[in-house]
This record gives sequence, structure tokens and C-alpha cells, in this order.
Amino acid sequence: MQFKALLIDAYRQLSAAKLFWVTVGISALVVVAYGSIGFNAEGVTIGFGAYQIESNQLREGSPWARGLYIGIFSSILVNIWLAWIATVLALISTCSIFPEFVHSGSIELTISKPIGRLKLFFSKYLVSLLFVIMQVAIFCVGIFFCVGLRIGEWNPIIFAAIPIVATFFSYLFAICVLVGIVTRSGITALLITGVFWMLLWTIQTSEAVLNRFVIQQIVDIERFDEGIITATEELEKIKTVSSEDFRISKLEKRIESFQDDSEEASELLAELDMWHTPTSWVLTLSPKTAQTIGLLDRWLSDPDGFDIAAIMNGDMSEFEGEELEEFDPTTRGARERETMRRMRVDYENRPLFYVIGTSLLFEGFILGLASWYFCRKDF
Amino acid sequence: MAVIQLQDVEKVYRGKVHALRGVSIEVMDGEIFGLLGPNGAGKSTLVKILMTVIHASKVSGTMLGNPIGNRKTLENVGYLPEHHRFPYYLTGKQVLHHYGALCKVGRKERNSRSSSLLTRLGLAGWENKKVETYSKGMLQRLGIAQALMNNPTLLILDEPTDGVDPVGRREIRDLLAELREEGRAVFLNSHLLSELEMVCDRVAIMVKGRVTMQGTIQSLTVDSQRYEIKIAGEMPAWAKEHCSEVHGNMLVCKGNDPSIVQPILDRLRSENITIVSVNPVRENLEDLFMRAVDNTDSPGAIQ
Repeated sequence: MQFKALLIDAYRQLSAAKLFWVTVGISALVVVAYGSIGFNAEGVTIGFGAYQIESNQLREGSPWARGLYIGIFSSILVNIWLAWIATVLALISTCSIFPEFVHSGSIELTISKPIGRLKLFFSKYLVSLLFVIMQVAIFCVGIFFCVGLRIGEWNPIIFAAIPIVATFFSYLFAICVLVGIVTRSGITALLITGVFWMLLWTIQTSEAVLNRFVIQQIVDIERFDEGIITATEELEKIKTVSSEDFRISKLEKRIESFQDDSEEASELLAELDMWHTPTSWVLTLSPKTAQTIGLLDRWLSDPDGFDIAAIMNGDMSEFEGEELEEFDPTTRGARERETMRRMRVDYENRPLFYVIGTSLLFEGFILGLASWYFCRKDF
Repeated sequence: MAVIQLQDVEKVYRGKVHALRGVSIEVMDGEIFGLLGPNGAGKSTLVKILMTVIHASKVSGTMLGNPIGNRKTLENVGYLPEHHRFPYYLTGKQVLHHYGALCKVGRKERNSRSSSLLTRLGLAGWENKKVETYSKGMLQRLGIAQALMNNPTLLILDEPTDGVDPVGRREIRDLLAELREEGRAVFLNSHLLSELEMVCDRVAIMVKGRVTMQGTIQSLTVDSQRYEIKIAGEMPAWAKEHCSEVHGNMLVCKGNDPSIVQPILDRLRSENITIVSVNPVRENLEDLFMRAVDNTDSPGAIQ
């Protein structure tokens, strides 16, 4: 009964704010815009058939059409709309819930009731999250029908966006709650949460950049080592025929050059590791917002389909297809592609506990601090 | 039976600000108990400790038979905090439903009780209006209604008449008297002395975190009872010896027994001195309060 009372109160508080309805309205518009994209025998249609883009690959029933449509959801709507714009709007809407709750004159009325402070705190926290869950759920229902009607795929994994986005939002909201309870100011809570979010983004970006460099060096070292092996084998072959072959010195120089490059790359790798290892540890201990949102992409992607995320990252292999097979695997471009592939494998293979578990541990720590403060505080 | 029994309550903020210094009070079943004191005396702190809003540094005692801080006890206690703030987005009825639900009052009971309380507190017709449109007095009355939603045995009201007009104050006084008749105990925290004097059965005066006086107004003012005899003409020389005090043409005889003034009146008549008036005088709550405050270094300040 008490939880229900808090839930109804949270709903009334949020629905009293215009921003709540603005967010619902924009969400609806986004769903309508998404639903306006369709496929027919000629290609893609936009604006419920108002515009036609002809394409041989992106036509009705093709796996690429499915990839594009699902990709727009998982890579654009979730990554940009839900994980950024809607999250900012949700933070603005909810940042004042706890400061209002602990405001002098109102907190006395609530904590003097027969409900434990800890229960009160977590009930309030959960009902505040329900706001986001509700918004994402409405959004996902719309998307579910769009996907079903447009590409005939009634995919329940779309609803995975609800717990994923709610979990992602909860990392930030925990900070918002802690600051809100301590400072009793919604604006301060919002600003510090924003700064924290930027800090997380910096940590994640730094780790990703350093990880890319590390993998790049590993790939380079492997290529150099392969080059050494190939050149050494060739050299030995030549030496068995003639010890005075003019190619011997060239090959020796080449091997020497590979060795130098390999050593240089190893040194650079060791130096990068010095930076990457602590950054990885910091990332392990902090909430992984990008990787949490990335889970949806991971679960929804079709290996045979069209990968919009890869295209957004600059990998055009989906379009270039067969031509790539002709590329020399020792070229810089091939090494770049290998680096990107390994990076993707690395992130996709990171266990759920690493992505969500450690992030929730951080959130638990922050909520523990906030609830401890709330329980000990004299109001 | 005591509904509140507190012994030696202490509250020290950050190890240096002593808000309460060993407060002991007793509130009996079915009485209106008034706690008065100047601003900063520690009245609200004491009330907040009872309602678990503030943690005491040291507390022993019971409320409704359970140790102070027991959550279950709060199901039978109604509380109106000072300067309370209801969520602006709620209507009067929603406020009562919300706080009633937090007190574990069932839905049916909430429906019937909210309607009757809104009528009883003079808020009928306002139940579906947002509280942001209420006046200060209406909010205060809604606050009292909120405190009564769980049909409490004990009602703790912190400055209930704050911002209420004279008519509203009278209505609240009548309501408190009715509640007493219903057998509820009311713990009233106020600095409006005249209000308290009119309704309280017993009072405690708190100054600088200590209870300096406690009891019925009658028992607390018994020592101050006196007779003031006003005469015309010159004061006789013997007056100073036979009376407690002499001020101008006024003779003051301390005590509440009328027989103490009879010999003086006889003598004044025998000497043909005109007696203008004879008044039995007793301290009112304000005098009592001022006396309690004057006996300390500075009014109310906590150090």
C-alpha cells in the first residue's frame, strides 16, 4: 500500500511537469518517423511512401533491408534518442524528485509515517526509475509494431531496450539522487550528474582509443613477425641454392627492418599498456554506459545482414564486399580492418557481468552512500 | 496512563550545539499538553525526535507504550510539522489519501475519513482543488486533517494555528477540545501563549533545551497568587510591614487565601482610608513564561 502510494505520487509529480508530456510527445513523433520508413520492390520509401529511394539491395524482404531497419532502431534510435536526448530530458524531469522529497517541510510529513527510511528511500528510487521504464516501454511498443508491420519481424528482443535503457539511466540517476539528497537542489544534482556523465564518456573514450592503439600494435607486431618468418624462409630457400644471390642482402635488410619495426611496436605497446591497463581498471570500476547501450546492438545484430553500426564507424566492407578479398592482407588498410574486427570481437566478448554487473556494483555503492546519508540525516 | 514518557532526552548537533539538555516530560492519556518556549528553545527538535525525524543523542522513554523510535507506534500517532509543505500538484483529497496510505489506512477508510475530515475542518468544496490554490490557513487545516487520517490516539501538532485567522483559531481550539473529549491525547507545540492557556490541561516551558517548568497552569501559578489593594490618599506607614510589597498607592499581599487581606482591610477602614479596589491576581501563562525566560541568561538561545 505504501509503495503504491509512492508510485502514484511519483506519477502525479512527473505528469504535473510539462516536460514529461513533451518527452512523451517527442517519443511518439520519433516512433511515427520510424514507422514512416518502409520497403517495396524498388527500394526504400520514406514518409509513408512520399519519397522513394531506389536500391537493388535495400528492397522488401532482403536481409539488408532488415539490417537497415533494425540498425536504425538499435544504432540510432537507442544510441542517440534513448541514450542521449531522451536521457537528458528524463534527467531534467527527475532531477528534482529527491530534492523535493527531502525539502524541509515535506520530508517531515513522510518520514514521520510508519515506513522505514531505507524502504522509503529505495521505494522512491524505484518509482522514479519507473518513469523512465514507462517512457521506454511505450516507445518500444511503438517500435515493435513498426518493425513487425514494416519487415514482418515480430522481434521480442526489441523490448530488451527497456531494461537496458533503464539500467543505463539508473547509473546516472544514482549520482543524481546522491547529490540531490545532499544538496537538496535539483539544478546542482543535474549539473553534477552531467559532469559525471561527461567523465564517464571521457573514461570510456580514452579506454576505447587506447584499446584501439594496443590492438593496432599487436596486429602490427603479428604482421611484422609473419613478415620475418616469411622472409627468413625465403632467405633460407635462396641460401640453399646460392649463397651469393643478390636477393640475400635485400632479404636480410628486410628482416632487419621487420625486426626493428617489431621492436619499435613492442616498445610502443609496452608504453601504451602502461596507460591502457590503469584506464581499463578505472573503466572496470565505473559504470559502462556505452557498453550497456551497446548490448542491444549486440543482441539485435544479424551477422549476415546489413551492419549500420559498422558503417557509422566508417567500415564500408558491407558495400565493398568482394573487392576486399583482393586486398593485400599486409597493407595498412587490411591491418586497420583487422584492428577494428578484433576491437569489435573484444567488446562483444566482454561478459555481461563485466558490462552490467560491475556497473551495478558502482551504482549499488553510490546508492548505499545515498541511503546511508538519508537514514542518518536529521531533517 | 502516560502516552508520552520521556526521560533525559539529549540532542547535540555536530558535537557542539546542545539543542536538548536532558529533557523529561510526561503527557497523559486524554489531555491537551502544551509545550511552549521561545524560538530556538528546542521544542521542534523534541517533537521531531518523537516522530523519528531527528535522531536523539540520548533518549529513554516510551510513546504509546513502545520505545521512542518504534515505527509501528507511528501508525497511531498523527503529526503536523511546523511549516509543512504539501506537494503542489496534489488536491486536498489526494493529500489526505497519500498520507493516509503511508499510514497504512485502507482505501475504503481513506475515502470515508477524508470526506468527513475535510468537512470537519471546513474544507468541504475544496477537496478537488490543487493545494497550491489554498490559503495559509487552509493549508494548516488540511495539515490537521492529514494528521487525523489514521485516527490517531496521540496527536502531535507543531504550531497548528500558525497563519490561521482568529476565526480559524477558534475553530481549531474547538476541534482540539473535541479531540480531547474523544479520548485522544494532544501534544501541542506553540509559542502562542494565549492559545495554549485556553486549551491546555498541562504545560511545560522549555528554555535553552531544558524544561524549566511543568504542570497544570493552576499549579504553576499558585505561588504567584496575590491580592492587590488600591487605596486613595497617602500610604500608611505600617503598610510595608504587613504587606508583601507596596507600590505607590497599591498594597500587595501574596497568597491565595482571602483571609490574609481581611485584617489589612479592617485596619484601612478603621483609619478611614478609602479602599478603591481589592483584586485577587494570578499570573497568566504569559507572566509564567516571561518568568521562566527571565530566569535564564538570554531568551531561548541554544548554545
